[in-house]
This record gives sequence, structure tokens and C-alpha cells, in this order.
Amino acid sequence: MANLDVKKIIRSLHPLERKIIPYLDKYNSMNSLKNITKLKDVEIMRALQWLTNKKIIELKEDSKEIVVLGPNGKKYLSEGLPEKRLLEALRKGQLTINQAKAKANLSKEELNIALGVLRKKAAIFITKERDLVIKMMDQGKNILQKGFMEEQFIQKEFPLSVEDLSPEEKFSFEQLRRRKDIIKLELVKTKTFKLTDLGKEVVKENVEASDIIDSLTGNILKTSAWKGKAFRRYDIEANVPKLFAAKKQPYRRFLDEVRQSFLAMGFKEMTGPLVETEFWNMDALFMPQFHSARDIHDAYYIKAPKQAKSLPMDLVRKVAKVHENGAGTGSKGWGYAFDFKKTQQNLLRTHDTAISPRILYSEKLEVPGKYFQMVRCFRPDVVDATHLPDFNQTGGFVIEEGINFSHLKGLLKLFAEKFCESDQIKVKPGYFPFTEPSAELMAKHPDLGWIELAGSGIFRPEVCRPLGVTAPVIAWGVGLERLAMFKLNLKDIRQLFSYDLDFIRNARVI
Amino acid sequence: MPTITFSLKDIQKLVGKNLTIEELSALLEFGKCELEDYQKDEDEVTVSLGDTNLPYLWSVEGIARMIKGILGKEKGCPKLKTAKGPYKILVDPSVAKVRPYIAAFVAKGCKVDDYLIKQIVQLQEKLCESYGRRRDKLALGVYKYDKIKFPIHYKATHPTSTSFIPLDFKKEMTQQEILEDHPKGREYAWILKDQKKLPLLVDDSKEVLSFPPIINSALTGKIEPGDENIFVEATGTDMDSVLLAINIFAYALSDRGFEINSVEVKYQKKKVVTPASFDDSIKINFANVRKMLGVDINDAEIRKSLEKARYDTAKDSVLIPDYRRDILHEVDVVEDIAIFFGYDRIKESRLSSYSLGETYPLVHFIDKVRELLIGLSVHEIISPILSNKEILYNKMNLKDFGTVEIENMMSETYSVLRSWLIPLLLDFLSKNKHVEYPQNIFEQGLVSVRDVDEVYDYERVAVVLCSEKSDFTKIKKVLNALFLALGLEYKIEEAAHGSFIEGRVGRVSVAGKKVAYIGEMHPSVLQNFGIEAPVAALEINLTELFSLVGKK
Repeated sequence: MANLDVKKIIRSLHPLERKIIPYLDKYNSMNSLKNITKLKDVEIMRALQWLTNKKIIELKEDSKEIVVLGPNGKKYLSEGLPEKRLLEALRKGQLTINQAKAKANLSKEELNIALGVLRKKAAIFITKERDLVIKMMDQGKNILQKGFMEEQFIQKEFPLSVEDLSPEEKFSFEQLRRRKDIIKLELVKTKTFKLTDLGKEVVKENVEASDIIDSLTGNILKTSAWKGKAFRRYDIEANVPKLFAAKKQPYRRFLDEVRQSFLAMGFKEMTGPLVETEFWNMDALFMPQFHSARDIHDAYYIKAPKQAKSLPMDLVRKVAKVHENGAGTGSKGWGYAFDFKKTQQNLLRTHDTAISPRILYSEKLEVPGKYFQMVRCFRPDVVDATHLPDFNQTGGFVIEEGINFSHLKGLLKLFAEKFCESDQIKVKPGYFPFTEPSAELMAKHPDLGWIELAGSGIFRPEVCRPLGVTAPVIAWGVGLERLAMFKLNLKDIRQLFSYDLDFIRNARVI
Repeated sequence: MPTITFSLKDIQKLVGKNLTIEELSALLEFGKCELEDYQKDEDEVTVSLGDTNLPYLWSVEGIARMIKGILGKEKGCPKLKTAKGPYKILVDPSVAKVRPYIAAFVAKGCKVDDYLIKQIVQLQEKLCESYGRRRDKLALGVYKYDKIKFPIHYKATHPTSTSFIPLDFKKEMTQQEILEDHPKGREYAWILKDQKKLPLLVDDSKEVLSFPPIINSALTGKIEPGDENIFVEATGTDMDSVLLAINIFAYALSDRGFEINSVEVKYQKKKVVTPASFDDSIKINFANVRKMLGVDINDAEIRKSLEKARYDTAKDSVLIPDYRRDILHEVDVVEDIAIFFGYDRIKESRLSSYSLGETYPLVHFIDKVRELLIGLSVHEIISPILSNKEILYNKMNLKDFGTVEIENMMSETYSVLRSWLIPLLLDFLSKNKHVEYPQNIFEQGLVSVRDVDEVYDYERVAVVLCSEKSDFTKIKKVLNALFLALGLEYKIEEAAHGSFIEGRVGRVSVAGKKVAYIGEMHPSVLQNFGIEAPVAALEINLTELFSLVGKK
């Protein structure tokens, strides 16, 4: 068995692993492997990690102190230590301090250091004549001949491990350490490794293995060179870099799906302009011009153009009459003087139902027919966790001779099944200015419990007659934001329009 | 939606049954009301009112009256019992221009306590604020009857000619001073803007009762625990609303056990005794009821539902209670029949006609473009349509090229309709500086552009590629891939555009029609947004492009 395991493992070795395996029983650090294999750090790191995953080695992380050159150390490596330069300058006889400084090309600071060091080593002697004069002593000549130990130290290859220093090196290290910025001590983490029992088996084998194909290439295919050879086995459990699938924005996907649902139910999609008139948005829906929903607090009016030019004036006059006195619709009307200027006023569409009278009035209206719209609407609200600056509304109507309130209930039940996976519904009395009777749909969602899912009703005769519609019209609107938030697992409604790229990238497609 | 509060004990007493809170909650649905809260310790019920056309339900007495109908405690249309009082209000012609109508009654013989005062003030406030459109159309005043000397005079006077002590103040003020210095004056001064004379209600001994619709006098304009007799008046700009408000109030106090005394209002040319019955009835065809509801409900059952809903029924019409003015059409009565018969007793029918589901062709085209961009590894985002000129123009080194601006904006951030999309994508990038690159995103959606008197909506799509290596070549590859897949050939010519680097921006046209901009964003634009990597961008007018595809 063991033998089989070893063979299997050998076949799964990456070329980088193969390169370092022959040295694993002789070395135990990354540095040493680097020197011998000439691979890059990152390559060795990866190979060691893979070998660890394969249980060929055990990686151990140690921290140890190392010595590196500081800024002055690097400088002196090229220029020579100040004490050496001073001593060299004295080789041909004594000099005054200033002469020595100039000749050795030392800064004042360096001069002081050099004097200190050399006096301590008893290499020089300073006497007071007219100026201060420096003379070299025998010990100085001796040092010049042998060279400075400190200089030999900084010429070594850094970094050096503190543990590995010889006693002499240690002495120089201690000397230099007291001086400014010549050497630095750093704590580094190093990786060492040792072979496992399995590893010892593997190392014994010949891993050069020319009969293993690492990558399949076009050339190998062309020449059939793969025949009789094995492919390197991959560690298929290994992690790979992250990749994000580009996709639809999650809320937009939800809306796309809602659209598909309506299309599947046989509804036809319609749309209308963002800037509406009070006429289509309200008057055509028999909302009286003094209605509180027409307050500046409930609709956005625009600076320009304030008035729409292109209203069908014949229709406007009919609607005005209905507002004023019912005009043969069987209604008493609201009993006020209709304002023709107000009806032309522009505003941002406040609800999706603004589109319905446009379609009912259109020559393209089909009876029987089913229509829906999914559009952005606008109402003045402070934006917070439950209010968006603008929001999507979905609604529509069904027109057909002979339909009635029981069909409205049937339609609401269908919506509950379609959008809420719910067969438990409650239909309650509701209020909308343009429908009578009006009803609200509560549906029991499997996770959310009872939720308000839709509002609906039968369009009032005061809405339909002036538009030339005589067949009953069931109007409805569904509230989908709560379902969208549930489906996308959001707590804050503003996330429907998320500006967080991580959220977009990581969003699940469900 | 307005809400009111009252005690459960109180409504139990008014209804004459120990309703549980659950029973109450179910009964409220008949009036499109909803139980919002019940604080057991304080015995306080909070109800929200769904139908803005049924102001009689904005009082506990009104709700109790509805419930009595449902439970069969009372049947049919309630009739207010009024005693003919000797009371008169003389209306001076001077009010005609500022606030022409007034109605009133005197309620006697019932001691009020703190709770009842709270209920009275609540109804008064709800009627004034919601139904009365913040006192403009309608305002009510409630007074200590015992201090008033009838007849009362309703007139309009010069703003500085009369002073009195208003409620909540200690010193006398003129009407002018009240509008300027009294908190209520400042709150409601807009109603009387530009009026040369202001409404005033004074009694026969020249004592000021109130300055409608602003404030009552401190002397008479407040009822206190222990008071037994109350005077109530309503003034406004619409006769019907004023009469309705007084009726609602009179019915509520009558239900409490007050004796309601009428008041004669003398206008120059007519007299109105209030509370006044509207004697309002409406024709109803029972066959229409069955047809509209799709339910087999016999005449007797229809009549039973109507009585529950507090109508009186005649052969082919119903009599409407005087506290309702919402019945405009037979359909309004049909709804009440359905509600009081029970929505749950009407079965569900499925629609049987066949119809073909379809969307408008532009949607398909838009979806193809979105699909292609996703295929090019570009992530989709969406933004609000409301934006601001700082993002759309200032940060883009651009002049306003035609924007729909909101007159009554809530905040500068959302003050205009977006006129193009690239700025929104840059705004998005500016919020994701520390997220992994490349950041390639697109948005598809509506923009609105204003051209003098017209506003045009366009479906657009914009793409931005943001990374160290983003450049013109990269974005042009996207353009090419898109147009190749859509089977479109385009021409590109150099363009001048302040948002892009000069010499690296092009205008794309198809069949001679300009449909897109493409280029590398100008470094100053990127700096304006605080973006730290180059961006190449593209924006296409899909509405225009689609019109060309259609013609091909």
C-alpha cells in the first residue's frame, strides 16, 4: 500500500516540487533551497506549501534575530569605515586634526567617531603642539596590516543570523551595534521544514520522472506524445484565485422575473412618461383637484416646463364635466369648478396607475385584455431604511365584458400563488380614489407570515366612461419591494439600489 | 393616514357589548380601519383610518355607530334628534371674500371629563387637519356655552381694529399681532395671506369668541372638566364641508348623551338651520349589485346588508346618513353591500378569456444589450433616477444640457431627473475605491432630457471600465463586440466633450444618427469624484438605436 501511495504522490508532483525534493534531506530552510535551486522565493514557498499539503514535509515557522546593514553600514561598505580612512591618512606621518580630516575626507561627526575608536584601540596618539597633532602608534600600523575586524564584518553577506555568528564576529557585531545606523537587528520569521516518514520514502525515489506530462500542449496532441505517459495528478482540493461571474443586478433580476410572471399570466406590458400631467396622474382617475394626495407634500412638481402642451382637450373637457357633475355617468360628481390650468400642470409620476387611463383611452386597447406596467414612481419622502428616493411600482388592469368582483378575488388569489407561494389569502375592504368596490389582498407567505400583497378594485364609472370604456375594468397594484428584500435578504430598502460593488459581486443568483 | 386613540372600555360602553380587542380588530376592517396598537395598562387603542372620504369614522363615537350596525344593535340610517334652539348667528357680508360659510350647534346636559375633552379635541383636530386641509377648507371651534351671549356675529374686520386675549397667552393681541407672534398664528397665517380683512366671531356683548381659523379666545374658547354645555362651530370655504363637519360632530356628541340644539345661521339672502339634514338618497338597482359582485345574493339579503351599513332602504333607492357625503354613485353603495355582506362570502372566479402576454419591443432589445454586456464580464448596477446637478454637470466639467428640476425637492441630493448615466457610474466607482480591480460596471435605465418646453425620456445604457489598464482600446472593444452582435455598423468621429480627454473621445453614429459617446474620462473629472484609476466609458441611447434597428 505504502508503495502505491508513494507512486501516486510522485505522479502528482508539480515541476517546482520535483526541483526541490532532491535537496529536502540535506537542507532545511528556504534560503538554502534558494541558493541551491536558484528558484524564486515565491516558487519555493508554493512548492513547500504543496509538499506540506501532501504530507511530505512538515513546515515549521520560527522567528529569529538577524543582522542587516543600516544606512551608515551601507555607506561605509563602499567608502570604508571612518577609522580606517583616518588611519590610512596617517600612514605617511603625523597630521594636524584639520589636515587629517581633509585628507581622509571625513565629516566632523565621522572624525570624532574615528578618533574615539582609534584611541580606544591604542592605534593613535594625540599631542598638543601649535595645533592638536595625531600620530600613528605601532598598534596602528599593525591594524593597517591586518585590516579592521569591523570592516570584515560589514563586508559579509547579509542578512546574517545572530545565532550563527563566530566569537570574533560576535565581538565586531557588539562593537558596531553601539554605533549609529551601521547595523540593525531584525526579528524575522523563517520557515524551516523537515521530512515526514512519507517524505523520506518519496525522497528515495527518482522524481525526475520524464514519463510524466505536466501540461498538455498542442504539440503533444499533434505528435501523440502523451501516449504511454501519465499526467501529473493535481491536488484538486487546492484553493484557486477568486473569480466573479458578471451578472444582472439582483433587484433588477427580481424585477425581470416579475415581468416574466406577468407575461406568463397573459398580461401585456405598457409604459408611460416619467413627467406626467396632473390630468393623467389624477384627474383622469377621478381624484378631485382638492384631494389631499395632490398636495405639494405628496407629489414632486417640476420647475420647467410647468405645463404640458399636448393633452387631448376633448377628453379633458369630458373628464372636467364628470368631476363637476357626473355628466351622465350616474354619478353626482365632486361638485366643484374644474381647473383647466391645474390639469395641465406637470409633475413626476406618483403612481403606476397614471398609465392605465392612457391605455384605456388608446386606440390599441383590446377587449378582453390584460395589461400591466412596472415603472419608477416618485413621491417626496425623506430617504431612510424604508424609503427610496424613487421606487418601482407594478400594477395594471383586466378589461372584459361580464367580469366582476368575484373575478377580482380570483385574480388576487392567482397573484398570491404566483408571488407568495401562498394559497391562504384574506381579501379586506380597502380604499382607492379610483376604484369601487376596492379590496386589499393579504397573503400568508411561508416565511414572512401575513403580508399586504396587493391593492385592487373595479375602476369607477367616472374613470371609465369619459375614456370611452363600458366594459368592467379590474385594476390592481402589487407591492413587491418587501418580497424583493426578503428574497435578497436585505434589511435596508436602500440596498435595492446598492452602491457596494462587493455586494453586487457576491450576490447570489437565486 | 390619520390615526386616533380611545379606550377599549369606552367603545365597549358606546357599543353596549364587552368586545375583546381581537373582536374590535376584526370589526374595524368594515370601516377600512386598522388596529395599530393596544396598550393594555393605559387601556389605549390606536386605530389608523384608511378611507379619507369617511371622516365620521375619525371618532370613537363614529366607529361605535358603525359597529352597532354590524352587530345588529341598531339598524338603518341614524337620525339626529335636535331641539330647535333660539340661537342665531348673523353672518356679515364682509366674510364672503375671506371665509364665507359657518355652521354650529349647542350641546347641552352632559358633564365632560378629561377623557371626553381629549376625544372632542381629537375629532376637532382630525377634521381640521385632514378633511379640512390644514384648516384651509374647514376649521372647527369648541366653546364654553355658558359664557356666550347670543346672537353671535360672524364678520371680517380690519387686522388691527380688534384685540382680545388668545388661548395660551396672557395679554390682549390684535389679529395682526396674532398672525405674527402667536405660534398658531404663524402656523396658519398662510391661509389668510393677502387678506385685507380677517374673520372674527364675537358674541352679542362684543366679547370675541375666536379668530377663525386661527385661534379661540382665552375667555370662552376652551372647555374644562365639569362643563356641561358646549357651543361648536365650523367655518370654511365650502358650504358642504362645513355642514358635514358639524353633522359629524353633532352625531358624535348626541351618541354621548348630549341634547343637540340647532342654531340658525342668517346670511344676507338665506337662512340655514344647522345641523342640517342633507336628505341625500341614491337610486340602486339590485340586479346591478349581483352583476357587479358576481354573487347570488337575494333582495332580502341586500336590504339586510344595507341596514347593517346604516342605510335606510326604499323600493329602488337608499337613504344616506347625514354624516356621510362620500356616496357619489351607485357603485359606492354596492361596495358597502359587499363589505357588510362579507368579502369572504364572495367566491373566487378565474378569468377565462385567453390573452397573449407580451412586452413592448424595446424591452427585448434592452435585455439583449444587457445580456451581451454581462457576457463581456461587466457587472450590472442600478441607481435612483433622482440625482443632482453637482454629479451630472459640475463634477463632469459640463454645462447643463437640459434638465428636469424638481420645484419642491426634499433634498439637494435628489433634486433633478438624471439626464445621463455615466456620472452615476463614476459616483458608484468613487464609493468602491478599495474594492478589487478591474471594476467594470454598467447601468441600463431611463434618463430625461428637457428641450425648452418638451421632456424626452430615453432608455440608455452606460459602461465604465476602471483599472490601471483601462483605455480607449478596451472600451472600443466593448462597443465593437456589442454592435457586431447586434448586427449594426457604426461610424465614429472625434468629438469635443468636457468630460473626456481631448483627442480620446468620439461620437458614434449609426445610419447618420448620433447614438453614443465613447472615450477616456478626463483626469480632472476622475479627481472630482476621487477615483484613483483611469476610466474608459461608453453611453448609448438605446431608444434611438432601437428605432434604427427597427427600420433595418
